Amino acid sequence: MKRSECLLNAMTKQHRVTKKIKIALGLAVAGLLIGACGSSSSSTETTVAEETSAVATSTDCPSTEIVDAAKAEGKVNLITLPDTWANYKGILASYRDKYGIENPVANPDGSSADELTAVETLAGQPDMPDAVDVSPAFAQEFDAKGLWEPYKPCAWDEIPTSLKDADGKWVAAYYGLMAIGANTTVVTEAPTSFAELKDAKYKGLVSLNGDPRESGAAFAAVMAASIANGGSFDDILPGIKFFAELKKSGNLSASDVTPASVIAGETPIVLDWTYNYPGLAPTLAENNITFKVSVPTDGVYGGFYAQGVVKNSPHQNASKLWIDHLISDEGALGYIVGGAIPARFDALVAAGKVSEEMMTNLPAPELIKDIKFPTADQVAKAKEILTAQWGPLVADK
Amino acid sequence: MSITVIKGGGTLYERASTSFFKRVLPWFGILPFVIFVGIFLIWPSVSVFRSALQSVDGAEKPAILEAISGQYLKSILFSVRLSAITALIGMIIGTLVALAIVSLDQMRGLRNWMVGYSAVAANLGGIPLAFAFIASLGMQGLYTKILSVFGINLSAMGFKISDFSGIVLVYLYFQIPLMTLLMLPAIDGLKVTLREAAANLGASQRQYWTNIGLPLLTPSLLGGFLLLFANAFSAYATAFALSSGGTRLVSVQIRFYLQGNTITGKSNLGYALAAWMIIVMTLAMSGYLLLRRVSEKWQR
Amino acid sequence: MTKRNSWAKITLLLIGAFYALPMLAMARFSFQRMPVVKLGWSTLLDGWTIAPMVDAVTSARFLQASWLSLRLALLTVIISLAILVPTTVYVHVRLIKARAFIEFLSILPYVVPPIALVVGISGAMRSTVPGFLSNPFSLTPFYVIISLPFSFRSLDVGLSSIELKTLVEASRSLGAGWVRTVRSVILPNLRVGVINASFLTFAVVLGEFTIASLLLKFTLPAYMAEAQGNNPQGSFTVGLLLLVVSASLLGVVNRVTRKRGQEVQAIFL
Repeated sequence: MKRSECLLNAMTKQHRVTKKIKIALGLAVAGLLIGACGSSSSSTETTVAEETSAVATSTDCPSTEIVDAAKAEGKVNLITLPDTWANYKGILASYRDKYGIENPVANPDGSSADELTAVETLAGQPDMPDAVDVSPAFAQEFDAKGLWEPYKPCAWDEIPTSLKDADGKWVAAYYGLMAIGANTTVVTEAPTSFAELKDAKYKGLVSLNGDPRESGAAFAAVMAASIANGGSFDDILPGIKFFAELKKSGNLSASDVTPASVIAGETPIVLDWTYNYPGLAPTLAENNITFKVSVPTDGVYGGFYAQGVVKNSPHQNASKLWIDHLISDEGALGYIVGGAIPARFDALVAAGKVSEEMMTNLPAPELIKDIKFPTADQVAKAKEILTAQWGPLVADK
Repeated sequence: MSITVIKGGGTLYERASTSFFKRVLPWFGILPFVIFVGIFLIWPSVSVFRSALQSVDGAEKPAILEAISGQYLKSILFSVRLSAITALIGMIIGTLVALAIVSLDQMRGLRNWMVGYSAVAANLGGIPLAFAFIASLGMQGLYTKILSVFGINLSAMGFKISDFSGIVLVYLYFQIPLMTLLMLPAIDGLKVTLREAAANLGASQRQYWTNIGLPLLTPSLLGGFLLLFANAFSAYATAFALSSGGTRLVSVQIRFYLQGNTITGKSNLGYALAAWMIIVMTLAMSGYLLLRRVSEKWQR
Repeated sequence: MTKRNSWAKITLLLIGAFYALPMLAMARFSFQRMPVVKLGWSTLLDGWTIAPMVDAVTSARFLQASWLSLRLALLTVIISLAILVPTTVYVHVRLIKARAFIEFLSILPYVVPPIALVVGISGAMRSTVPGFLSNPFSLTPFYVIISLPFSFRSLDVGLSSIELKTLVEASRSLGAGWVRTVRSVILPNLRVGVINASFLTFAVVLGEFTIASLLLKFTLPAYMAEAQGNNPQGSFTVGLLLLVVSASLLGVVNRVTRKRGQEVQAIFL
């Protein structure tokens, strides 16, 4: 799903949240929920939501039929879920711990197109991917090719309309904002807006996470830059021109962004999703590197990824359980720890399940409230323009 | 061809059929190879062309025509340029290295080390190789820093590892060892007696090389150049990992359409670009065969 | 002669430096936890650790991936030679006209992108041998194909440098049967070509990533890519280890097998 998009770093706005604390938190929460979930299957049916002490409502629990059928299958084939992306490491672990079902991840650094290729190439085989996590554009592709198995997870009603397919073909279990990350060991003043990126002191220091024609994060960065420069979801050209300007002034570095390049300090200022930064926190800390993440003040752009069950895959029930897990509280809290905003964020906050500590990796609540997503048509149109113009205006110069 | 005396009619027919049979039969010897390659290489290549001849997204012209226009043509030419330059430099330096190795044959272990390392280096690429150079000569590179201590500021001198010259340098890391490996057997074949004979006849070092050495080596040199060209032409991981300048390469752009995260529905364009790559290689191959035929006359 | 030797030595020294320096820089990055910006005389000896390497090398994922890659490499070399050696010998002895055709075929793998290979073949496979692509060793035919440029070229150059046809004719006219000819004339002269072909094929397989990742096979390069996310320094140490071990191994094999080849060549002068 995101090959070159895997990035790093963690340093959040305030303080370093060490890996140990995060794992402990994750486990603690998981523990609480496991305990609560097991006992609520029959009683919460009639309970009103006012009881904030009820940690899990019935909608969080996948039905026992699905759980049993999934356990009987014993395995779910997953694909392209990097450990450091939105804390998938923790979410995969919590699934394994809760249900005892294996969830091996193939080709973690693959792209959404690779996922599609794998599903088509391995159709009917025991290692065919059961569930995928793809960019919205590829969610459409899967739909067009009839590869989704519609399934509405049990917390369906709590997912906002913009984060799910009307027919239940896919859900967007998490989303994030485009953010500017700065290696403050190399760059003393971290930029906080797109306008600041044009400053001469950042010459040769700004990097996109890949080429926008290939990388979802880079594409989002161009859209965000467009918003910051008078454009909109319908008009990506100002964003392209912004980067053309950065390239001309020498601020835009040609170096590719990888975890290694950030550690080495070769790419000190990076544009990437908020949920890609916490993953590399431990490694950065080991290397004595301080890092700061800020959502640009002039261009707020949110993006999501779509997850769903693959049609005719070998482990249908385990796959459905996986989707349930992603939407469930454990999944949602796992995402929060990883810096991603879960689909049911509002419901969780209202139920008081999200503590202050957990929110450190997330963008500010005011920003989260204002997030709007572009429609599929707007994205398609933007890509047309990008494909035609990025090369001549930016890449080939 | 056997002489067949045939009474009556049908003489020509029978003689012709015998020689035809004899001509075709030997080709069966390479059948296993051709079948294997047919399934696993020709068939996918044909599929590439099949997709390339369709149109992109319902446009009128087939993808293969769209892929040769505008920015795509530029990228094909850019790839050709990069490949030719790295192949040429790699050919020259690689051959010199091979010559050096053979002439120092008596140094025990040297040749083995070099062959071993060259085989591995010839296949290096992608993130590790790109990063090795970034760690050396990038903005935060080790040698960049060391040089700056001595007052040599690389970026002020206009050198960046992510520029064209940087990409060439990194490509040479696998081009040179490849050429070395390819030339070693050929140089081995330059029999020592020929050199001694030439010396006996009074030829100087230079005369030996221009009249005997180079002509004998030329077919291998040309073949090596072709292989190096193809090697560079198809490489994408290294340039991709090294610099965004790598996106000017055709091989990288194919990934946008066939293996990306953002663009969908344009796979025919990706296959069309691949089709053009095959066409370019076919042209290069033909040129090489022509040159080799000319040079082989020298050998006989 | 000394002049030539000193020139040769300088050349090799320079090329050695070119090969070694980038790898040394990568090694420093991998083993020293110190960003270059903070590197100075006082911090030169700080932060050195082999922890990333230990983590990477002792992980179960690494061992699993290496084992698969090793077996794939060996299998590819065997099958590659099994197909190519008879073919190239046959072409050189009997059907030199076919050489250009085969040469073209051997260059073709370079320009067919790996994804085209996978997609093109998978369609055909699904209708005939459905389970094939799930087997990890299904990578072998792909690998034979992509190493074709190297393996064919190595064998071809080795055979071109001796006049095989003449030698075979001479041997036959002296009364040797085919078996004897193959054993005493053809095979010894193949040695260098076969060794080179095997080395290059081996190295190609250990370094190939795209096809393996598309078919979801967990090979060593796939492990290295995976490790880039949470242990980039460890991933590079694996790469360096691979470099050193492979190079040494191939060097040793070369040493053991080359000597005899060299003598044989001298005889046929």
